Amino acid sequence: MANMSERALDGISIVEVGCTGAAAYAAKLFADLGADVVKVEPPKGDPARSLGPFPGHVPHAEKSGTYLYLNTNKRGVTLDITSDAGRTAFERLIAGADVVVHDFTPLDAKALGLTWDRVHALNPDTIMTSIFPFGAGGPRRDDAFEELTMLAAGGWLWLNGWPGHPELPPLKPYGMQTAYQGGVNASVATMGALYARQRGISKGQHVEVSVQECIASILEMTLPTWSYMDTPTARWGQRPIHPIDMFKCKDGSWIFVLCIEEHQWQRLVELMETPEWTTWEVAANRFVRASNWDALRPFMEEWISNWTARDLYEAAQARRIPFAPVSTLSDLVNSEHLNVRGFFVEVAHPQAGPIKHAGAPYKMHGTPWEIRSPAPTLGQHNAEVLGEKLGLSGDEIAAAQGAA
Amino acid sequence: MSQPLDGIRVADFTWVWAGPTCTMQLAHLGAEVIRMETTNRICTIRMLPPWPGGQPGPNRSGYFNQYNQGKRGILLNIATPEGAAIAKRLVAISDVAAENFAAGIMKKLGLDYDELVKVKQDLVMISMSGYGQTGPESSYVSYGPAQVPMSGLSQLTGYDDEQPMHVGMSYGDPNAGLHAAFAVVAALFHRDRTGRGQYIDMSQWESSMGVLGEAFMHLAMNGEQPRRNANRSEFMAPHGVYLVSGDDRWISIAVRGDDQWLKLCEVMDRPDLADDPRFRTLAGRKANEDDLDMAMMEWTLQHEDPYEIEAKLQAVGIAAAVPQKNSEVLSDKHIEDRGFFVDLEHPEVGVRRHAGIPWKLSETPCEVKRAAPIMGQDNEYVFGEILGMSSAEIADLTERAVIR
Repeated sequence: MANMSERALDGISIVEVGCTGAAAYAAKLFADLGADVVKVEPPKGDPARSLGPFPGHVPHAEKSGTYLYLNTNKRGVTLDITSDAGRTAFERLIAGADVVVHDFTPLDAKALGLTWDRVHALNPDTIMTSIFPFGAGGPRRDDAFEELTMLAAGGWLWLNGWPGHPELPPLKPYGMQTAYQGGVNASVATMGALYARQRGISKGQHVEVSVQECIASILEMTLPTWSYMDTPTARWGQRPIHPIDMFKCKDGSWIFVLCIEEHQWQRLVELMETPEWTTWEVAANRFVRASNWDALRPFMEEWISNWTARDLYEAAQARRIPFAPVSTLSDLVNSEHLNVRGFFVEVAHPQAGPIKHAGAPYKMHGTPWEIRSPAPTLGQHNAEVLGEKLGLSGDEIAAAQGAA
Repeated sequence: MSQPLDGIRVADFTWVWAGPTCTMQLAHLGAEVIRMETTNRICTIRMLPPWPGGQPGPNRSGYFNQYNQGKRGILLNIATPEGAAIAKRLVAISDVAAENFAAGIMKKLGLDYDELVKVKQDLVMISMSGYGQTGPESSYVSYGPAQVPMSGLSQLTGYDDEQPMHVGMSYGDPNAGLHAAFAVVAALFHRDRTGRGQYIDMSQWESSMGVLGEAFMHLAMNGEQPRRNANRSEFMAPHGVYLVSGDDRWISIAVRGDDQWLKLCEVMDRPDLADDPRFRTLAGRKANEDDLDMAMMEWTLQHEDPYEIEAKLQAVGIAAAVPQKNSEVLSDKHIEDRGFFVDLEHPEVGVRRHAGIPWKLSETPCEVKRAAPIMGQDNEYVFGEILGMSSAEIADLTERAVIR
């Protein structure tokens, strides 16, 4: 049996620097499996420190929820990497690392000296992961970007809207999904590069990620709908089969109604006690139900209005019909299932206090995912990392903070 | 040149979308992925469009062919004792086993981790069910589209004060598959260091919440559920998707800071807006955002070509991008230049364009080596060459519907 105190990525050292959250999420995935991540922030702090949310809505650099979530298990140092002294210290960190990961544009990375040639010269065993918005090359490589415009450029934004409301604009999914996707894709490729190095297949290498392509890679049937059928996708996504829909229940909660397979629909018809409309030709199979959904939807809406969401969910699942709750955050935090599995973890932060975080995306039985330490306070590990590890004096550490 | 997962074999029991996304990543990294399928219960995705000419057929689905690139495929009815025994023989000479059935199914087939580890002592096995392997709802059925509402993403996404929305695709699937692939390669890395394999219990639901980490902070810190606010941002204004004159065309624009606001006014040739005290600061623009968006739309509607707006704004460093339709992503000059698309010959659908690998490894370059398998395509290679069965044996198993 495996020893539960051993972590999958013990001993792997990572230097992370960035601005979008993508590098931070990639490094978090490594840190939560045991890697030693040093997060390099400018002396005024990482941009995520100002994103919030903040307790009581009062901005505070040590209490930003986005920062606290993305940076668990990391050590934090501050360096002005645009200054000579800061750059020197930064390069010494990189030279001692297995991986350096960043998410700047090619132009900004170059200005910071974060090029593959330079990193490779510092240490031929170091893996450099660049999460670029549009990749390293090509005409758009240095385009200005934000989360919203990356969703547009990757093809996701176009898919999302409200069926029956073409007058409403394409809709952004909540949060920073392109940053998360850039991060997780970068982690897959970087883990591959580390494995290749461990197996003696390669030394260090450059892992170059395009966030635009990360989004274009996950669009379900969207791209083949053009390359196989010359058909544009509807602005509210492809719904070639039905029911796939959301309804309001009598208690005001919402239920997600889903039948993928025909046998699931048959069991739903039984649950509905076979109303006449389900016997009509326009409801005969999942494809014609999709074509006629506008006409069929009101019947289902009426039936559902007699249920509470919870009862309907349980009744459907009892018949192996894949309905789902449309969860609020408090539904989730109070979910018996998630709590039995121990999904949420309380992390104590010296300034922000104890806070419940979303937990492990996977449970690795041999090597734990675990939160060993909260996100670092600004410059918390300057003495430990820049002083003890790199051997910089107090004056040198101060000089590496750039002009005050 | 070698690839990171050269010589790694994956016994692939996955189906639908989440599991196949995981094993496609492993194929991208160079693993030999052998997907087991049966004509008794054909993968849902093979039966979904798009199909060339609208003609259905299990080998003709662009959806399937997109997410099974690079894999080999065999027919094996693992619901028969003999089929399960052959699957075990394949696992015995593989490094990884992957599955995403509802919890309990693999155990019923005698193919759960406890059984498989008997034939392959250092096996890395991942299960990717909707709910995870433990907990009171673990036997419930789920598909990727349901993970969007279940995870909380739907309640967070929507137009101002309107109903919860989907996000246009089954985001839970690819997100789970990518996280799973990272965990599997990390487990292989650990196996090679220690000689110990392990079992990974991944819940699609939990990995879907992992990319909503900052949302849970609103609840933890302030007891709040963030309001649905369409395309607006707390930190930027203007920040939206605006209508362009003509047929359902839009432009996404995100303006960061007061400097960019003044530049935008210049591009719009609206000195009056630049002088308007209501819009001078972010706080002012947020407080008067409806008026601000009206002014934006007035300007965007003067254009017939959204790309003209994109170019004007990019020229002054403001993030702007046209929400890309499927046809536009597939003909994007920038993406084409980067060599992202895969145009491999497929025996039944010919050459069709697919999304490829969104990252590049400089020293161990990866590529999609083969189009998605047609059903049973690699029977001879896997049963004959790898498992050493004679032609007579294969014929007999085919006759008796074990290979089917």
